[in-house]
Amino acid sequence: MQIRKELEKVPGFEVANHQIDSWWWLVAAVVAIVALLAGLEPDPYWRIIKFVSDGLLVTVGVTITAFILTLVLGLLTALGRLSNNGFVRWFTTIYVEVARGVPLLVQLLFWYFAFPSIIQALGRLISYEPFEHYLANPFVMAILGLTFCYSAYMSEIYRAGIQSVPKGQNEAARSLGMTHNQSMRYVILPQAFRTVLPPVGNEFISLLKDSSLVSVVSVADITRRGREFMAASFLPVETWMMIALIYLIMTLISARVVAWIERKTQTEAR
Amino acid sequence: MTTPSPTPIIQIENLHKHYGETAALNGVSLNVYPGEVVLIIGPSGSGKSTLLRCINRLETFQAGSVCVDDIPLTTAENINAIRTEVGMVFQSFNLFPHLTVLENVTIAQKVVRKRSPEEAEEIGRALLAKVGIPEKENDYPGQLSGGQQQRVAIARALAMNPKIMLFDEPTSALDPEMIQEVLDVMLQLAKEGMTMVVVSHEMGFARAAADRAVLMDEGLIVEEAVPDVLFSNPTQDRTKAFLSKIL
Ligand SMILES: Nc1ncnc2c1ncn2[C@@H]1O[C@H](COP(=O)(O)OP(=O)(O)OP(=O)(O)O)[C@@H](O)[C@H]1O
Ligand SMILES: [Mg+2]
Repeated sequence: MQIRKELEKVPGFEVANHQIDSWWWLVAAVVAIVALLAGLEPDPYWRIIKFVSDGLLVTVGVTITAFILTLVLGLLTALGRLSNNGFVRWFTTIYVEVARGVPLLVQLLFWYFAFPSIIQALGRLISYEPFEHYLANPFVMAILGLTFCYSAYMSEIYRAGIQSVPKGQNEAARSLGMTHNQSMRYVILPQAFRTVLPPVGNEFISLLKDSSLVSVVSVADITRRGREFMAASFLPVETWMMIALIYLIMTLISARVVAWIERKTQTEAR
Repeated sequence: MTTPSPTPIIQIENLHKHYGETAALNGVSLNVYPGEVVLIIGPSGSGKSTLLRCINRLETFQAGSVCVDDIPLTTAENINAIRTEVGMVFQSFNLFPHLTVLENVTIAQKVVRKRSPEEAEEIGRALLAKVGIPEKENDYPGQLSGGQQQRVAIARALAMNPKIMLFDEPTSALDPEMIQEVLDVMLQLAKEGMTMVVVSHEMGFARAAADRAVLMDEGLIVEEAVPDVLFSNPTQDRTKAFLSKIL
């Protein structure tokens, strides 16, 4: 912070600071490669893009939905782990340990194949018609699986952020008569928010990549559409190169956006 | 500096507090009367901060009782009720760095006292003027000097209309040239009749404002007297030993 204050006195620093981050050229380069391939060799490259484009929407939709749910469930879990209530603390800790201890792929398989069977068996046990005929919706189960796993990691990020706020902040808030919840909401969380933004952004990128795992549980995301194209066309190199490039464009753009948000909040903080 | 009236506003009886194995308070009893300014001095680790923090229940205690303005410190509602009557100023200021100076002094008014933003801001501005920094309301705490930050912290506590103000070494984190501006605000408060409990080793402030000085050592009150008397004619050896180090 001190260094930053000194730097800000240097003419031009502010301008340089707000310039477009130079790593955007990498994004541009990858986009150019894809455009060149599709333009010069429409068959198969443009065909691949057209074929997987609906899968691309699914990937983006699943990732964004799961991410938003993760932001909420992760926060609730973090607050639970910092709660004064022993049972809530115990319950959320077990959840975090379980969700982090089982591979994501296994969790997705569980939600898609095992969970509906359990519901059906429960339905037969209590003779509840809708449960007996319960069928899993692949989308819902995939989003549930990703959210369940990622919220555990997200809660640890939030918890670290909350604990990085000095104890005196909560004491000052409490001494003014604020309740625990008011202190969290108006004093602790706004400060924790700034420190957790970069790691939370990185979680988004991980989630985007890990969303490719949902292709094994009947979700027609871009990876699954890629497999279908390869099976029909027998062009593994072209197919997977194109899929990899499309993922790369998405993750590189996300990384730039995260870096931009990070810089913006840091300059606003002082 | 008003004459003490007969009913104490803070009643502390036989307070015991330990952190695990470490004893911090070993049976402290102290009454503070409305309008009184009580100074607490004593060596490091003697339990001064712990005593202050027990008054508004930032710390729990194992035995004894604390009663503020006839509210006993027992249930959660009582604790919050007491906290709104007791303002606290910390050695490290503890201003909210993500809020502007004005927001620092209005947030609790809005959230706890449920005042409208306009009313809270009006009160906040008046208090910032009172502590001598009306022109800084839109700055962030990080842009202020230590002395200015501590004065904002005092304004923030005053905004809740407390009946009692607790100060825990309010000037010991400050550069020497900034100490006086904070002490001046505290002197002004004392003159206006605020009940104050102050942990401080500022002898000038003690002589000018304190009605009573209390010396603590090893979690006990060793001696208490009018500041001049305590400083010039201590009766206890431990008081003499401590005073010889700081005077
Ligand atoms: N959070 C804590 N955990 C464990 N021990 C503590 C804690 N806070 C204080 N103590 C101990 O309690 C005793 C009294 O501490 P306290 O902070 O009240 O002293 P103090 O008189 O304010 O000292 P100082 O002048 O250094 O501020 C000390 O022995 C201290 O080590
Ligand atoms: Mg102390």
